Amino acid sequence: MKKLVFIMVVVMGLTSISFTISNNQDRKPWPVPDKDKKMKNPVAADAESLKAGKALWNTHCKSCHGSKGLGDGSKAGQLKTDPGDFSKADVQNETDGTLFYRTSEGRDDMPNFKKKLPDADDRWNLVNFIRTFKK
Amino acid sequence: MKQLIKISNRLLLMSVCVIFLASSALAQDDKETTVEKPAKAKPVKNTFQSVWIIDNQTVMVPVKKTLEMDIMHRFGTVKKGYEDFWGFFAPSNIRLGASYVPINKLQVGIGITKRNMLWDASAKYSIITQTPHKYPVSVSFYTNMAYDTRKDKDGSIFKYESQRMSFFHQLIIARKITDKLSVQVAPSLSHQNAVNGYYTKNDSTGTATFKEMKFDHFAIALSARYKITNVTSVMINYDQPLTKHATNNPNPNFSFGVEMNTSSHSFQLFLGNYYNLSPQQNNLYNKNNPFGYTDFDDTKVKGGNFVIGFNITRLWNY
Repeated sequence: MKKLVFIMVVVMGLTSISFTISNNQDRKPWPVPDKDKKMKNPVAADAESLKAGKALWNTHCKSCHGSKGLGDGSKAGQLKTDPGDFSKADVQNETDGTLFYRTSEGRDDMPNFKKKLPDADDRWNLVNFIRTFKK
Repeated sequence: MKQLIKISNRLLLMSVCVIFLASSALAQDDKETTVEKPAKAKPVKNTFQSVWIIDNQTVMVPVKKTLEMDIMHRFGTVKKGYEDFWGFFAPSNIRLGASYVPINKLQVGIGITKRNMLWDASAKYSIITQTPHKYPVSVSFYTNMAYDTRKDKDGSIFKYESQRMSFFHQLIIARKITDKLSVQVAPSLSHQNAVNGYYTKNDSTGTATFKEMKFDHFAIALSARYKITNVTSVMINYDQPLTKHATNNPNPNFSFGVEMNTSSHSFQLFLGNYYNLSPQQNNLYNKNNPFGYTDFDDTKVKGGNFVIGFNITRLWNY
């Protein structure tokens, strides 16, 4: 009996750990066209761009993605899709073009920001700001 | 007519002076930015976060294909205190509105207000947008037409259908002085189609009529917004009537409050003197006075007639 309880505790512990560490890997694949992937960022990540990016992030993104991009915003719990952890390598290793494409086009819970932020520079400022989440 | 032109010229001159004085004192940030990147002279964005600043329109016109829904509420005056919970349980005024941006720079809208069952149709056009080295200010023109749809079977309120109509025109001049501070000056003209009056003389030598008010009324609105954080701001606004009427002169309006924004919402909570939700009705008929004063017959009139109000806007982009 003691063994059974021990095994159950170990299994439950491992399961919960595996759920915790799976995080970004469990997300639905989001393919990006090659030409978008390779798109060059025309906006330098200078102080002005990061300031503008932060302002846009706080208005449009923070409620779901959290203030540090950890996916822990106040609305994150209500989403059907996992907003992901932007501090992790799998997001930070993506090209600027990929982040720009996903920000612009959106899918599922993620809105299309091409309509809300029609100036492409605004979305590039957001991409530059997302880079600051890298740990 | 000459007097009207004189007044409107003065208004414009005053507006431009106020904007430039404020700009020259506080425009240091812009100068620094443009020196670093002179090639990137893009129009300034987000001079205000919403198309409303309390009771006035801002210079902003949302991006093309934006649908906006407005819910606006004004409670009773706070004067009775706990008796009606500072106006919250007093009869309130409500406006429901919707607007759309079909082409760049033009917003058109409709709305209905509970008081007088007043329908309004409006248009706002962004004439110029503040751009470093090009335009020091943003300028928009706002106009609306309102139609009073109250029941009046015996014709005791309106003799003619046209008397139900009123109009409002406003030139809105604004400058985003720093990332946090934006100011706005907005001279306006309100027009009412019906004015009460009576004959003071009506005989064989001719007629003379006493009119309680003039048909046209000029006013000026001064507004400012200061951002505390990226999504929270404080707002302040003052409306000064300029036209002197024979009787029923409207009171000025002083209002202040906070604004909270999300990606698609703007929520404004404030105290002010305007109870109506139509700019021409507010400018022509405001009975709530912010400050105490002594009347022409030496009677002291108490001020502090503020109402609590809120504006909620929801945006959709198509």
